[in-house]
Amino acid sequence: MTLSQNLLDILVCPQCKGALLYEQNNNRLLCKACRLAYPVRDDIPSLLIDEAEPLPEP
Amino acid sequence: MAKSFKDKVREQFSRTAESYVRSPSFSQSADLAEAARMLQPTSDDILLDVACGGGHSALYFAPLVRSVVASDLAMQMLKKAQEFIAEEGGIENVTFREADAEDLPFPAGAFTLLVCRIAPHHFPDVPRALEEFHRVLRRGGRMVIIDTLLADEPHIAEFQHNYERLRDQTHIRAFTRAEWEQMITEAGFILHETKVQKKNHDFQEWAKRAGLTREGVQQLNKLFVEASDEIQDYFQVETFAGEVESFTDNKLLISASRPPKKTPQTSSK
Repeated sequence: MTLSQNLLDILVCPQCKGALLYEQNNNRLLCKACRLAYPVRDDIPSLLIDEAEPLPEP
Repeated sequence: MAKSFKDKVREQFSRTAESYVRSPSFSQSADLAEAARMLQPTSDDILLDVACGGGHSALYFAPLVRSVVASDLAMQMLKKAQEFIAEEGGIENVTFREADAEDLPFPAGAFTLLVCRIAPHHFPDVPRALEEFHRVLRRGGRMVIIDTLLADEPHIAEFQHNYERLRDQTHIRAFTRAEWEQMITEAGFILHETKVQKKNHDFQEWAKRAGLTREGVQQLNKLFVEASDEIQDYFQVETFAGEVESFTDNKLLISASRPPKKTPQTSSK
């Protein structure tokens, strides 16, 4: 199992409950609907809405 | 208000993570054995440990189920729990996620079992957390919640609330058995059983675990020593030379499940 599959295993955006994408080069999880990036620290994803980083508009 | 309060909870538990992980009180597993009896875990189960703290429930259940997801609001706590479980050795089916119990980052029906131990008294919105527990549990999924039980008698409950708040600013409130039963049913669960277990606390260890200063411990000691005989009897306060050595409170274990899928009614037409 790759790291990203392992991370995404039963995980959704805590705000919209939609799917997350793993962005390998920045080691974070993205919610495209909410435009939020959730960091991963020491292999532990941080899924806190208030701590997520807003993504720039596309 | 919710955000700054949650920052406070995260700060509090990041600071005291080590003492929670090493706590002899949290490692005692009489309540976990009872929770296991209620949950009947099997090797097919996927268990969520909400507000896992030092990881004691996750560690207890890991060998009994297929996998465990342990979530907590405080990253430091998760790191300590991860270290603690790694030190035990041989456990490889636990994963950690930093998450808020009121906004869980898991899809609907992701888990067959859920435990939440000695944590809801820190939640600003317990009904909202229960709604989330209901959502992430599969239909028919089982849950055990363990938390400090609030006394039914208002003056005892008030004393209890005062000492909890004096010890730990992140304590919001405990609930009576009737309040829990109502919240559980209102969240759509089937309530199976509630059970009260007494828990004896070594006063010094209990007070210091929450990070209290020497003055704070003294204040807390004073509160117990000056309490009425009725209250001292209720909490079985043991003192020696004016110092509280131990006291006993009640923990409530609640066993509930998400209703199974309704079988389609055969039409009478």
